[in-house]
Amino acid sequence: MTSGNAAVSGAAVSGATIEVNEVSKWYGSVVAVNEVSFQVRPGITGLLGPNGAGKTTLLHMMAGLAKVSKGEVRVLGQRPRSNPSLYRHIGVMSEHEAVYEFLTGRGLVELAARLQGVEDVRTSTDWAISTVNLEDAQHRPLGTYSRGMRQRMRLAAAMVHDPEVLILDEPLNGTDPRQRIEFEDLMRSMAERGRTILISSHILEEVEKLADTILLIVSGKLAASGDYRAIREALDDRPFTLRIVTDDPRALASALVRLSSVDSVAVETDGSLVVMSSNVADLQRSVAALARDLSVRLYRVEPLDDSLESVFSYVVER
Amino acid sequence: MGAVLRLTLRQLGGRRRLAVVFFLAAVPVGLAILLNALLAQEADFTDGFVGGIIDATMIGIVLPIVVMTLGTAAFGNEVEDRTLNMLVLKPISRLSIVLPKLMASAMIAAPLLVGATVVIVLVALGDGGARAVLAAAAALLVGVMTYAAIFTWAGLLSPHALGFALVYVFLWETLVNSFLPGARYASVRGYTVGVLHGLDDTTFASLGENAIDLSWALALAGLTIVVFTLLTVRRLKRMDVP
Repeated sequence: MTSGNAAVSGAAVSGATIEVNEVSKWYGSVVAVNEVSFQVRPGITGLLGPNGAGKTTLLHMMAGLAKVSKGEVRVLGQRPRSNPSLYRHIGVMSEHEAVYEFLTGRGLVELAARLQGVEDVRTSTDWAISTVNLEDAQHRPLGTYSRGMRQRMRLAAAMVHDPEVLILDEPLNGTDPRQRIEFEDLMRSMAERGRTILISSHILEEVEKLADTILLIVSGKLAASGDYRAIREALDDRPFTLRIVTDDPRALASALVRLSSVDSVAVETDGSLVVMSSNVADLQRSVAALARDLSVRLYRVEPLDDSLESVFSYVVER
Repeated sequence: MGAVLRLTLRQLGGRRRLAVVFFLAAVPVGLAILLNALLAQEADFTDGFVGGIIDATMIGIVLPIVVMTLGTAAFGNEVEDRTLNMLVLKPISRLSIVLPKLMASAMIAAPLLVGATVVIVLVALGDGGARAVLAAAAALLVGVMTYAAIFTWAGLLSPHALGFALVYVFLWETLVNSFLPGARYASVRGYTVGVLHGLDDTTFASLGENAIDLSWALALAGLTIVVFTLLTVRRLKRMDVP
């Protein structure tokens, strides 16, 4: 559904509902997005990247909220900037969770329906609210909602006109596991109806359950795009550093160095082990078995460098 | 437009904000009642009293501050709390967003300020001041609309609009306008006083020295409203919405 820079031409473009072509965005001397190109077609696409990678800036340019410094964005074949009529076909849910707190949940969705020019405001509002399962809370002021409920009502407001393209920035923030499952079901049903859904997140696990394809953004650049499984494998293969605290570090260290998944083992001055591995899944399985076989106690096993930034950066460097 | 207007009226109609503007509008009324009670027996009291107090307190201070409080918040609050995208991501023209914002500020400020000014006139002149009442009402309405256009634009331009607006009011509208006679042609206070004096040059004769011609006042106020409304639309089209 989605392809990277090399595919932006010819037949690949046909059928794309969102086209981002050599797009850059800078604020003064700060480059937020750097020559990014991709297309998004109907279905669910995940826009993934660590915080500050440029996801929101990209989404804002796609939604027409931010001016493109260089390049071109087209949604349904049209430029979104200064093109209000296009919003009849687009629904956008921004990452900012602020709402008009004096409005009721229903009031927010009704307002969106009226401003969208929906013909039957009442029916559309009922449909959108029931879709997010908030009928019981619809008459309460938004100020009394939990974070998850607020997100769901904002989603109802974004989709009250049943848009062809839905752009959602971190929509799962604040939602609980049950709400996430409902959200996933809803997105899948919309995708089955031919809608284009672009979801941004900084959490890989959040997106991989949903998205057919992934766009990976790191430091304002498109680091990878395509099937999430390939990207997931690349992430799992990255060098990994673990700290292990045990009651017998030397015995465990000599057993660990014999494992094929371990690149090196160092015994620190405090007696803990620092283990480097290129196959973290295998290592995690082996450590517990080795400890049991050697009758040593494991007090702590923790990753030393597992920040999203470092994980995503690894994919970029590959 | 109706949905945005209702939304903005609710946004601006917060209890605290209304309490502040109501208090501000009540101060000149209280002052007029007090002075009238204390000095009404003086032989030359009536001459210039009503014009003086309306110009010095209502037009010079309360009108700009009240409309500034409302006008800068019309867009300012949404820019600050990042709810503006809920309006701009809809298939409506930018003018359809700006006009109701401007109207909402005026709809709250006008009844309050016009009402307070009419009370001042009635306190000073009693039943015999019908023409003065009409003049005061029309002048305040012109002032409210003109300031609303300027401050609505300012609210969209900067998160510090209220501070800039205060500096503008006290430097330009008060200080410069007092010392440079020509400045009244580029001053909302000048237009408001021009309308007041132009519609009743008997009651407000004391303002004649500083008043610009009625037709000029109306034309320049109208031009200011149109220019700042268009500037606000332009800003809304071109800005990066947070």
